Amino acid sequence: MRPRWRKVLLDLFENPTRTLLVVFSIAVGVFSIGVIAGAYVIIANDMSASYAANRPANIELRMDDFDRDFLPVIENAPEIGDVEPRRVFNIRARAANSQAWTTLDIVAIEDFDKNALNLLTPMQGQSKPARREIVIEREVLKEIDIQVGEDLVFQLPDGSEKTLRVVGIVQDPTTGADDFLAPPFAYITMDTLPTLRQPDLFNRIYATVQGNGNDAEYIRRVAADLKDRVEKNGVTVRRTRSALTNQHPLASTVNAILGILLALGVLIVFLSSSLIANTLAALLNQHLRHIGVMKLVGGRDKQVFAMYLVMILSFGLLALALAVPFGGIGAYALAEFIASQLSFNLLGYRIVPLAFVIQIVVGIFVPLVAGFGPVISGSRVSVLSAISGDLASETGSKPQPGAKRETLFERFENAVNAALLRRGIHLPRPLLISLRNTFRRKRRLALTLFTLTMGGAIFVGVFNVRTTLFAYMDNVGRYFVADVTLDFSRPYRLSEIEQVARQVPGVQYVEGWAFASAEILYPDGTVAENLVVLAPPAGSRLVDAEPVSGRWVQAGDTKAIAITEGILRSFPNLKPGDYLDVKVRGQQDRWQVVGLFKFIDREGLIAYGTYEYFSRETNLANRSVSFRVVTDRHDEAYQREMSEKLDKHFRDAGYQISQARPGLSALNNATESLDILVIFLLIMALLTAVVGAMGLTGTMGMNVLERTREIGIMRAIGAVDAEIMRMVIVEGMVIGLISWVLGLFLSIPITYGLSLIVSLAVFETPIEVVFTPLGYLIWLGLVILLSVLASVLPARNAARLTIREVLAYE
Amino acid sequence: MVNSLLSSVSSSSVAPLIELRGVVKTYASEAGEFTALKGIDLQIYPGEFLGIIGKSGAGKSTLLNMITGVDHLTRGEVIARIGPSPVSVHTLGENDLALWRGRSMGIVYQSFQLLPMLTLLENVMLPMDLCGLYHPRESRRRALELLEMVEIAEHANKLPAFISGGQQQRVAIARALANDPPVLVADEPTGSLDSVTADHIFDLFERLVEQGKTIIMVTHEMALMPRFSRHILIEDGELVSTLQPKAN
Ligand SMILES: Nc1ncnc2c1ncn2[C@@H]1O[C@H](COP(=O)(O)OP(=O)(O)OP(=O)(O)O)[C@@H](O)[C@H]1O
Ligand SMILES: [Mg+2]
Repeated sequence: MRPRWRKVLLDLFENPTRTLLVVFSIAVGVFSIGVIAGAYVIIANDMSASYAANRPANIELRMDDFDRDFLPVIENAPEIGDVEPRRVFNIRARAANSQAWTTLDIVAIEDFDKNALNLLTPMQGQSKPARREIVIEREVLKEIDIQVGEDLVFQLPDGSEKTLRVVGIVQDPTTGADDFLAPPFAYITMDTLPTLRQPDLFNRIYATVQGNGNDAEYIRRVAADLKDRVEKNGVTVRRTRSALTNQHPLASTVNAILGILLALGVLIVFLSSSLIANTLAALLNQHLRHIGVMKLVGGRDKQVFAMYLVMILSFGLLALALAVPFGGIGAYALAEFIASQLSFNLLGYRIVPLAFVIQIVVGIFVPLVAGFGPVISGSRVSVLSAISGDLASETGSKPQPGAKRETLFERFENAVNAALLRRGIHLPRPLLISLRNTFRRKRRLALTLFTLTMGGAIFVGVFNVRTTLFAYMDNVGRYFVADVTLDFSRPYRLSEIEQVARQVPGVQYVEGWAFASAEILYPDGTVAENLVVLAPPAGSRLVDAEPVSGRWVQAGDTKAIAITEGILRSFPNLKPGDYLDVKVRGQQDRWQVVGLFKFIDREGLIAYGTYEYFSRETNLANRSVSFRVVTDRHDEAYQREMSEKLDKHFRDAGYQISQARPGLSALNNATESLDILVIFLLIMALLTAVVGAMGLTGTMGMNVLERTREIGIMRAIGAVDAEIMRMVIVEGMVIGLISWVLGLFLSIPITYGLSLIVSLAVFETPIEVVFTPLGYLIWLGLVILLSVLASVLPARNAARLTIREVLAYE
Repeated sequence: MVNSLLSSVSSSSVAPLIELRGVVKTYASEAGEFTALKGIDLQIYPGEFLGIIGKSGAGKSTLLNMITGVDHLTRGEVIARIGPSPVSVHTLGENDLALWRGRSMGIVYQSFQLLPMLTLLENVMLPMDLCGLYHPRESRRRALELLEMVEIAEHANKLPAFISGGQQQRVAIARALANDPPVLVADEPTGSLDSVTADHIFDLFERLVEQGKTIIMVTHEMALMPRFSRHILIEDGELVSTLQPKAN
């Protein structure tokens, strides 16, 4: 090998710790980018591919019961392609050998052989149940411990039990794809319905459109026309959903979240580049004499430049060798995790070429860019200054003629010392030395602080985002204060239900709500949004509303609603007092918007009206199918217990109750999925913090190395190992603490930015930011720990130096 | 005798190899300006073994730096006729200077300046690698020859830290000769060596001069004066006298 390349090679191994630090810090960034970019591509492709492969319906109508004779009304509707009627209802089930009940959504299908929409993918056993058999979706396995061939026990409305044999496990990537909080599905034939005391009637329609299945506007129009047609023929449609053929309904949410993670990955790379810049600056400084010698014997700038460029490239290539294989594996693992969470299939393990290319580009270019400055200035240095070594002096630059001897920091330090002395406080010498050392290399300190501060600010920001999200969920909970929600299969009188419910000890208050579903129309008559109106009695205690503008609905309101801010998507200029054109039960109407409030707008929009008006509109005055119960305690366990008691009580009394739900459970389910998101954010935040700590380790290592002679002199005048170690560690901690203080400030914009992106992705609306001291405290502990760890190794090296080594050092 | 022959040449029509005209070097420092060279005129002819002698701080190193182009002069001219065409050293840029220096001058310092991570052989190969005058395989052969010449061949694959100072200086000389430059410049090459070792180095220089190299060597040892073909005395940045060797 040519001598100059031998030199590059040997330089790489001259200080293995330094090389490893740089390589690892690049590798961490490249790895996280590889994982996220890979998962992004795999999911973007497979999520929708696996969805589309199962022939998803474009339109789903949730309707009142209808029979086979009604089907032609739908099949012959304009623009409608395939149609499949189903009956979907929820029921409580358990494994034969367990007492834990779980709610399942049972899907009854007329003919599994003719199944053409929302196809089931066989996983195990049969995928087509016979009479009195059931096939379960694989999600059921998360709730119930059961195998093919075993029995599921169901609880019927009258409290009696029935068993069905599980004959197979399937996967259903399409039904309920947009609602990851829905109960898991199980499938039976229509002739099993009587066994479960269900009428032989349908209540849902799944249909495709004849035209472009990827034109959202077109599908919405066809769906609205279909709804009209159905209602004109006498069947009420409770809810309309529309979906594209080739795009998973959650694709944009998942992509947005992966986008945030990717941004954090890019940031990690960015931060690791400051370690590279620092290391190379220190390295070139140490190598000034070598550079001088090379120039003395004929070396030119570009040759020296090339040598160090190759060195940087080697850092990058080593990092790539480490990060790329793991990145590929990690990408698939992450994709698989997300796929299992959202119930879709991946198309098989593979390396994503794009992620591969991104990793290589990042792994090569970021170090090059980061190292360019130090290498350029290092290779331009003149022979004279390199050989005479005056650039290698401690300050890193020649003292300028006539410059002030005292730096700003030293003046500050002196002032502080003087002030302390006047109060009789003496700072210990070693501490003073540590403090002064900290500020000796300004540029290096700045880069290190930047990295560590960024890491910390993101870490703290993630905690704030978590609190923000949960505060928002709490806020959502204000619109469902009830402890138990009771849903009946037919309407009952308010007074009657209240009286029966009060017979259960612990029940304090009962309220019946009315419901209406409507479409909000654009002025041209096309459908803008689907709307569900919840109508508690005016002045209900079960809604703790906080409108962001306008007012809440009140007694005496008739055609008036308070609506979620989600409406602004379609009507950006809507203000309280404005009117909306709506279509209810096939009739056009005009409602006044009296106020706007914040809510999760994932599943269509929600509005609140008054029971007094909407119950009359739906011909259910003084009656309701849905009741809210307040109990004397409000924890989730008690709510669960009370909902079971109420469920049993009403069944025993002969009421057709379809379900009793504890109030907090839905919220907690939602919170769980938010937690997964927060965990991912936290992992990224920890990675940033680790890169920050690596930066600090590198800095401390360089500081100690450059002070070898000084440390030797200190030992010669009697400093013991422990003192030298303490000096170095205190220096590391000072840097850590400064970064913590800076992080306090930087975390504010980061919290706002992250919250905005996350809330737009998850809730589709910006939400109010809440700060928590928790993240700051944890980060304080962590940054102290990390900075001690980061300085222990260099400190030990410093303490271990023998006088001989010190004197040999130049 | 060679010396007398040279001195007769120097006074005849042969152009000097290196010519300094009114070279002034002023250092600016915090303490103020300091003029280290106060108008030096000097001609160095091919085949000379020139000694530059003077006390510490007299300006010897500064003068060498003007000749090698390592430092920039404040006023005056340095013209070298080493390559195919004359070169105004003081007008070259850093890069041209590096290449020119690498090909036409070997430089030896008191503090050997070997690269610590490279073996002796690699240290000698380095200038050939950087200037590209020899094919890599050729350069290895040549480096070994040079090490043999300075009697270090058996240590060729050792690192500089594992040989003595005198040996290191021989390697530095071998390195200076790597690109076969006509001129060798040495700044107190024997300054940190004992007298016996120093003598060996001096012998080596004399052999090189016999082979046709031009050597410019700085020293503050008056005792060495007679062994140069010519020497100049420098004091406070001025040439005191240019003693021509006695023509017999
Ligand atoms: N970079 C510089 N800045 C300011 N003054 C300098 C610088 N380099 C040298 N000098 C001054 O110039 C004068 C000549 O220095 P030079 O190094 O040429 O002396 P020298 O004859 O080589 O001495 P020595 O025998 O000690 O090496 C000295 O007085 C020295 O202090
Ligand atoms: Mg000198």
